[in-house]
Amino acid sequence: MTTAALTAGLERIPDQLGYLVISEDGVLASAGELENDEHTAGVMMQMVRTACRFRLSGSTDAPFKRMSVILEDFVYVVTISGQKVFVVKRQNIQHEPINV
Amino acid sequence: MESTLEQHLDDTMKNPAVVGVLCTDQQGHSLGCRGSLSDEHGGVVSVLAKQAAALPKDPTDSPTVCLESDSGNILVRSHGSITIAVHKIAS
Amino acid sequence: MGCCYSGEDGNSREKFEETDPLIPHPNPVSKPPNGTEWPTPGVPSPPTDGQALLTSILTKTAQNIIDVSAADSVVMEQHEIMDKARQYSTKLAMLSTSLPQKKALTLPSLTSQPHQVLASDLVPYSDVQQVSKIAAYAYSAISQIKVDAKEELVVQFAIP
Repeated sequence: MTTAALTAGLERIPDQLGYLVISEDGVLASAGELENDEHTAGVMMQMVRTACRFRLSGSTDAPFKRMSVILEDFVYVVTISGQKVFVVKRQNIQHEPINV
Repeated sequence: MESTLEQHLDDTMKNPAVVGVLCTDQQGHSLGCRGSLSDEHGGVVSVLAKQAAALPKDPTDSPTVCLESDSGNILVRSHGSITIAVHKIAS
Repeated sequence: MGCCYSGEDGNSREKFEETDPLIPHPNPVSKPPNGTEWPTPGVPSPPTDGQALLTSILTKTAQNIIDVSAADSVVMEQHEIMDKARQYSTKLAMLSTSLPQKKALTLPSLTSQPHQVLASDLVPYSDVQQVSKIAAYAYSAISQIKVDAKEELVVQFAIP
């Protein structure tokens, strides 16, 4: 897949505010609120590496196909495919503040 | 004598969708766990929570990390000095 | 004994049993640690094919033996050790720059349809709320833990 084909799909994701496509060598593409956001790219790379070390007992595969980081107003959704990390920032529309 | 935390973990497990729960400190030492989550997950869980804390611009916005699969989700959230992981299966 | 045997070269020894004596004369097999030439066995008869073979086996074996009992005789000065360490690290640094950088960890593929996975529904808000509550309760439970000392925490040992 070309970079253009990869990002065209990301543009169509509902409520997306921006995205990042990252490889081992760095950011391949970025747009919207995540445009040139090296900080978020770096943290996300660290997080997927950490999350990939997670194993439930008896399983050899990482027990997830998507990682979400849920914040008050938006959600980062992350997945890995073909040695590329995809990060999409989506609006968190299911409101009501968290009362603890 | 059972501590308040142990009681709380037991209560959490009573939820039919919850198959595992883990409580760790900031260093990843397990303070208690039940079901599918065990002491060995403490490190990854606490590191994940710590890394996620670098994302929000507003430091009071506390992130929840969720590892999602078709069979269920593992949710990680910090509160003060502790981090909780809850393994919920798809209902 | 003080000798350890390392390395294996099975092909050259096929015709010989391992239990056969390697050396036809009584001198013990040992090799000076500084790597000087192994003396050829002092058998006066003209070398036959068997003899040549035996000599080659002997040489090979001797190369594979490290005589640790003789190691004491090797005295290295402190500065010699430092020099060697420096030489080795320089050599290593030179070699490592010419090697391609090893990737820290190759990323696994979590899905073959990233767009679909990323576009699917977000985690239910009720789940996020639930885990927030569990975390908050756990935190308050932890803060309630107090050490309930029933006995003296520091005790005196009976010192005569």
